[in-house]
Amino acid sequence: MITGNGIVKTFKQRGNMLGAREVRALRGVDFSIPKGGAASFIGESGCGKTTLGRIIAGLETYDGGEIAIDGVPMSSLTLKRRQPHFRKIQMIHQDPYSALNPTRTVHQTLRAPLALRAKQTGRPKAWMDERAAEVLSLVGLDPATVLARYPHQLSGGMRQRVVIARALTVDPEMLVADEAVSMIDVSLRLGILALLKDLRERLGVSVLFITHDVATARYIGDDGDLYVIYRGQVVERGPVDTVIADPVHPYTQSLLSAIPVLHGLELPGEQPVAPLEALDAGQDDTGCLFAARCPFRGERCDTERPLLQLTEGVPQEHACFHPERRSVIARPMSEV
Amino acid sequence: MAQATTGQAPGVRVDGLTVVYKTPAGELPAVRDVSLTLEPGSITGIVGESGSGKSTLALSLLNAVQPPGRISAGSVQIDGLGDVVGLEGERLRKARGAHIGYVFQAAQNSLNPLKTVGKQLLDLGRSHGVEDRRGLVREARELLGRMGLDGARVLDSYQHELSGGMRQRVGIMLALVLNAQVVVLDEPTTALDMITQANILKIVREVHAERGLTTLVITHDIGVVAEVADRLAVMYGGQLVEQGPTRQVLGDPRHPYTKGLIKAIPRLVGDIDEARALPGRPPTLATVPKAGCVFRERCALRMDICDTDDPAAVAHGPRIVACHAVKVKEHA
Repeated sequence: MITGNGIVKTFKQRGNMLGAREVRALRGVDFSIPKGGAASFIGESGCGKTTLGRIIAGLETYDGGEIAIDGVPMSSLTLKRRQPHFRKIQMIHQDPYSALNPTRTVHQTLRAPLALRAKQTGRPKAWMDERAAEVLSLVGLDPATVLARYPHQLSGGMRQRVVIARALTVDPEMLVADEAVSMIDVSLRLGILALLKDLRERLGVSVLFITHDVATARYIGDDGDLYVIYRGQVVERGPVDTVIADPVHPYTQSLLSAIPVLHGLELPGEQPVAPLEALDAGQDDTGCLFAARCPFRGERCDTERPLLQLTEGVPQEHACFHPERRSVIARPMSEV
Repeated sequence: MAQATTGQAPGVRVDGLTVVYKTPAGELPAVRDVSLTLEPGSITGIVGESGSGKSTLALSLLNAVQPPGRISAGSVQIDGLGDVVGLEGERLRKARGAHIGYVFQAAQNSLNPLKTVGKQLLDLGRSHGVEDRRGLVREARELLGRMGLDGARVLDSYQHELSGGMRQRVGIMLALVLNAQVVVLDEPTTALDMITQANILKIVREVHAERGLTTLVITHDIGVVAEVADRLAVMYGGQLVEQGPTRQVLGDPRHPYTKGLIKAIPRLVGDIDEARALPGRPPTLATVPKAGCVFRERCALRMDICDTDDPAAVAHGPRIVACHAVKVKEHA
């Protein structure tokens, strides 16, 4: 179980000609991912989803709030003592090609973490090769054919499987997959998503999925929570299919409206929200963070910030003064 | 802009195009015997996975395939220009930009980081002998304004001062500013988030209509094609396996690869378990079969003839499909 409470992160940029400025990447984010569970962070580029993922994986510091891994608050530990905890959380990066050393075979790639693991647990050397074959089989690769290969001899999908296998060598409790399928060929994407779901079921590994492609978030498990992040704040959170089918926050609605409709196969949603204009980085911070781009904003939105909460009649949490369900996503023609 | 819309948009006819790359294993075809017509004023989308040859095909429209690759057979006829494959030297250089605009994959990386956008615009004008530099800048500003940007500010900016979506718009501006009537967009929205993608696709549609262009969009994302293209061509292993009006192809795909590809797209609604990845993996230059159907290794409808004979591209009304199994069904 990994929980976060009020995570705050501010990046300070050095001055350029526009003057020094601070970027508030995360403004107090709460999350909770149960053992074996799933969660997805979605939002446009720059919303803070990747920063949050990196903080959870222990790759980035945070300025406020608390992360607890299996109930142990991380801020109570020294950096060195945090390490074994954060080792339980492994990151899967977007580009499997740059995540693998091109001069190492798959065998060599897996051997490095396994050697460390063997030393820690006092296992014999033979265990390392056994375990390497085991993790490769877990990710659907045939050890006999891939062990001796270099990354360039593998397809994108196979490379990403090797990256996942490497993460599994340290027996992680959670995988953080940041846009893990966006560089994989379309015909193979579902295979990687199905693998992540399968690892949840078979190994009890939880999966945190970070993406701007909302549809892929469904495929790691419909029991997971979807977190919609906007300018460092979670603006909507709930079970993935609920948020997709009945979004109440106008930002979620515009994200979902932006997903292409497969004309000929699908009909557009009934109340799609027009594409938003680009985010203006210089926006001020009073009131609702989304107000400047919101087609439905009211007076209250300019002065007061809505907080993530449950309100009557809405099953998911949201941060909006005017939550209203809108049917924005495309419908399959077969169901109409 | 008025003068741009007066001319009839040119048609493009690719006929029997083959592009080979020299490798230690001999010359291997990245594009094999491809025929494709871009109707004047239409938007055509080519969908393919990595290594399918779609970018090589797009570069052939500019006769810009770089060694070790070369166009070994076929022609690319563009109205008002002739066969691009036969052009060379100065005439070819002038045709690029003036007749055919190209928006490169990752426009993020195709701009010069050391020069402002305005400087690069003037370089472009100079290399094409544009004398009215003020007019060029005015046109660029108008185009950028049309795409929702502050033209003057963008022209004064370096690429690192622009966001991904803004750079993509700069790429589109540079492709159109010399009044090109044929525009090729190679992966126009890859690496952009959904909201920026929706904006860029809207701009592509609108600018296409306003300027009376003939547009080709190359992408791996069927959603992109579904949003903008009138006609869809599916590319696999260097060949076009299916073509037709976008809605018809998506609603009723005929080729097993097209069917599998559509099934493999993660969707927002519907049964999660219905979607599935295609078995196997796309062929590379080295693994694409020399004879027979390029898709047979992953195909559920494979027959004996698929191993030996290339399926011919057969027209069924507005649809063109290259599959032995589909032909059998039609005749039965």
